[in-house]
Amino acid sequence: MSLLIFLPFITAIFLFIVKMPINAVKSIYVVSTLCVASMAIYLYVHFDPNASMQFIENHSWISQYGINYSIGVDGVSLGIVMMNALLMPLIAIGLYKQRDKKGYWIHLLFVQGGIMGAALSLDLMLFYLFWEVMLLPIFFMIGLYGYGKSNFVAIKFNIYTIFGSLMMLVAILYLAVSYKEQFGFYSFALDDLKNLKLTTIESLLVFSGFMMAFAIKIPIFPFHTWLSDTYRSAPTGIVIVMSSLMAKLGAYAIWRFLFTLFDKTSHQLAPYFIGIGLFGLIFFGISAMNQTHLKRMFALSSASHLSLIVVGFFVYDIYGLVGSSYLIISHALSSAALFLMLAMMYERVQTYTIDTLGGIAKVAPVFALFFAFFALSIVGVPLTSGFVAEVLIILGAFEYNIYIGFLAATTVLIAMLFMFKMISAVLYGDTNERTKNFQDLRAHELMALIPLALLILAMGIFPNYFIKNIEPTAKTFASNKEVSHHE
Amino acid sequence: MSNEFIALAVPAILLFSAIFTLLFGFSVHYTKSRGYFITLGTLFITFLISANGIGETFTLPVLPHIFNSMVVYDAFSATFISLFLLGGFLTLAIAKSFVDNTCFFTHESFVLLLFSLFGMVILTMANELLTAFIALEIASMSVYILVGLNRNSLRASEAFFKYLLLGSFAASFYLLGMVLIYASVKSTNLAVIAHYILSTNLKAQLLVIAGSMLIMITIMFKIAAVPFGAWVLDVYEGASFPITAYMAGVFKIAIFAFILRIFLQNFIAYESLYDPLIIGGAMVTLIAGSLLAVTQNSVKKMLAASSVVHSGYLLIAFASIGEATYSATSAIIFYLFAYFLSAIGAFGVLSYISKGSDKQINYDDLNGLAKSRPIIAASFTIFILSLAGFPSTIGFIAKFYIFTSAIEAGYAILAFFGALAACVSIYYYFKVIGHLYFKESGPVESLSGEKFSLIFIVITAIVVLWGGVGTSLLYDLPGINALNDLSRYAIGSLSL
Repeated sequence: MSLLIFLPFITAIFLFIVKMPINAVKSIYVVSTLCVASMAIYLYVHFDPNASMQFIENHSWISQYGINYSIGVDGVSLGIVMMNALLMPLIAIGLYKQRDKKGYWIHLLFVQGGIMGAALSLDLMLFYLFWEVMLLPIFFMIGLYGYGKSNFVAIKFNIYTIFGSLMMLVAILYLAVSYKEQFGFYSFALDDLKNLKLTTIESLLVFSGFMMAFAIKIPIFPFHTWLSDTYRSAPTGIVIVMSSLMAKLGAYAIWRFLFTLFDKTSHQLAPYFIGIGLFGLIFFGISAMNQTHLKRMFALSSASHLSLIVVGFFVYDIYGLVGSSYLIISHALSSAALFLMLAMMYERVQTYTIDTLGGIAKVAPVFALFFAFFALSIVGVPLTSGFVAEVLIILGAFEYNIYIGFLAATTVLIAMLFMFKMISAVLYGDTNERTKNFQDLRAHELMALIPLALLILAMGIFPNYFIKNIEPTAKTFASNKEVSHHE
Repeated sequence: MSNEFIALAVPAILLFSAIFTLLFGFSVHYTKSRGYFITLGTLFITFLISANGIGETFTLPVLPHIFNSMVVYDAFSATFISLFLLGGFLTLAIAKSFVDNTCFFTHESFVLLLFSLFGMVILTMANELLTAFIALEIASMSVYILVGLNRNSLRASEAFFKYLLLGSFAASFYLLGMVLIYASVKSTNLAVIAHYILSTNLKAQLLVIAGSMLIMITIMFKIAAVPFGAWVLDVYEGASFPITAYMAGVFKIAIFAFILRIFLQNFIAYESLYDPLIIGGAMVTLIAGSLLAVTQNSVKKMLAASSVVHSGYLLIAFASIGEATYSATSAIIFYLFAYFLSAIGAFGVLSYISKGSDKQINYDDLNGLAKSRPIIAASFTIFILSLAGFPSTIGFIAKFYIFTSAIEAGYAILAFFGALAACVSIYYYFKVIGHLYFKESGPVESLSGEKFSLIFIVITAIVVLWGGVGTSLLYDLPGINALNDLSRYAIGSLSL
């Protein structure tokens, strides 16, 4: 388990120290990430769906403050771990020809390790450590390999997110100190801290400290102002990481930490967050419609879907929970694939603007097929995984409140609008100067995209096989909540 | 090694070595590198000797029949002495290339460095106000001259006069405060004063309270807390890089050793009087320091201004001493350790880049360093991250302790404030990293590599990282836990 976290770090440090040609760097990157992926698959196969938290490791780190290195995996975090492990080698395979800087791959390895650590940690300090550590390579990659005013964007993004994290740090420390006052010793373990009794005001403040960090990462309206700049400037590898993994991690953290620690407060605030989430869904969807820059458009569209994930979590029942966890995975797959394809397109036509594109389907049918497939899977067309997830969330929303359910169901349609509009503009119509010589997908690009497409289809057609791992966790969680709800 | 031996050997070796270097400097056999290595060796040996005294709790009046218990050697002073001897050693070791490339590091400069360390050792061991004052002045006088070492630089001379004038003026507050305390207690011994404070009622202690406030003014001046730190930008700018690092990192440790001793032993009874003042001071220091740091163009001045912010963090912990004595004190010790490592590293990298020239290093001078000197750039990044309190470096653990102690003392708002200041600091620190990595440099001049300095820069960087993630799980190296234990022993030895 620990190897999942530290193998990427070790490889990255090794690559930094040893000088070697760029092809060797890429090969080592692929080998190392494939190792991580196979370990993750091993984890998946041996995962016992009926137990909640498993593969637990616990070592003392700073004993005086009760900070432990403690990690473990359950049904919800398993999804993020799997995505993290699977997407990273595919990025390298898909972009094999494009990125010739050693630093690019080193930073990606660092990000992988950081995300893995944050998804697995059960100790708040450890979580904070990884949560921050993964920012650093993102900062470097935007600054080093980004487009446009990348330096400015990198610092803006960094200050924005670190502000959130620092608020969370103060909140974490406050929790630990209150724990010491009530139980006589320090602890940062999630299991201990949930026994804490806080007054309403206290838990509200601490809750908002945490929420600040998560809301900025996801981002929830109104903390989204870093979003479109950053996505536009960031290089593809990081865009994939941000939209498929980092943002999902924020949503996951809401569930893992906020719902565990502040059960009552989360319940009380749930209507507000559902409202904000639905508003974000509409707001980001409408903003996405008006974009002419493809990357910005997908950025806003994924923000819109993330709002849906947040709604699903805050709906607080088993459908919403399973649906959100499922959407985390399926949206990660689709958006990673789409951003990969955008990078391939950029390599060929050197533009992201919708107006300058058109007619790609005529010259590159395979590309068009995949592009359309992934775009539709994001929208949640039946047979794709997005459909299953969205249906579950909407079901959950209906259980919660019929109007909320109705609203959620209709707003999901907004995504259809701009996706169809985009597809028709980019793929169909007449070819122009730029797209005339559009080259179809190459072998290594297909190699990266086919697994993603197959996985999306499999998750859409046989959802039960995948959901069975999430469900028990969700069930125990939801039943616990109901008990505490009725008390 | 018995503790009496350590207590006497450390100052004696420093003093002897200083006088020896002073005389040796006039001999024909003297060369700069010999003087350098004698000093470095002295620091290393004294550090090793002094490090024997840490890790257990003890108190030992040094030769009470001769010195009349004016100096005391306990685990507290042993810890601090080891800290700043290590700091002095690292400063000097990293400064090797700077010393080689400049002509103003004469033998007197090494002598002054040793004398100032001698002063700090005595200051840390002082158990009496007058001894402390003399030791403080020995250290300060040496540092005044070290600031003005470069006689050809106008800036250095300006810094020297400014520091000398203001420093002497601030020292007079200490004298006045001491006189006031003596007037009512009839003794300058800390133990006697502590006894007096506890046994007399508060109304009769007005003079002692006023005196303690005056002493605090001097201390606040020395650690450059706002509003007494107006000198800091000019002086840090004028002094050469190693000396700036020495003042920011090492001298501060000795001052805090003394302030903690008198505060914990004596003035803790006035804690309710002090707290509003210190809290206000901490906030003002954080705000003003952040504002100063954001507006600087030169990296050196930015680091100088940010050292004011770091004093602000220390004051946060200092304000919490009353309610959370143990955790706040160990937070201060840990923070001092973390800060001196990172600051010495950062200034050391600057001095390494400057190659001994007097020019200001602006942000633009760092452009493209990552390409030409990747190892230097990576180490510099680590130091900067540690100063910014980024997780996985020692600076983060230090901030973690500071904030925890503040919350424990019930000042959650101070921790919040500190977090805001840390957020602002991300801006000016990450600007440095941005320039290191994202900007292309002009024509790259090849730097003549000085291996000796480079090795110590890298070692310091590794220690900074280890301090952030270190655990005794991997191998049997002392990690964060071990440092915590050390500070516990140190505080235990103060009679509270």
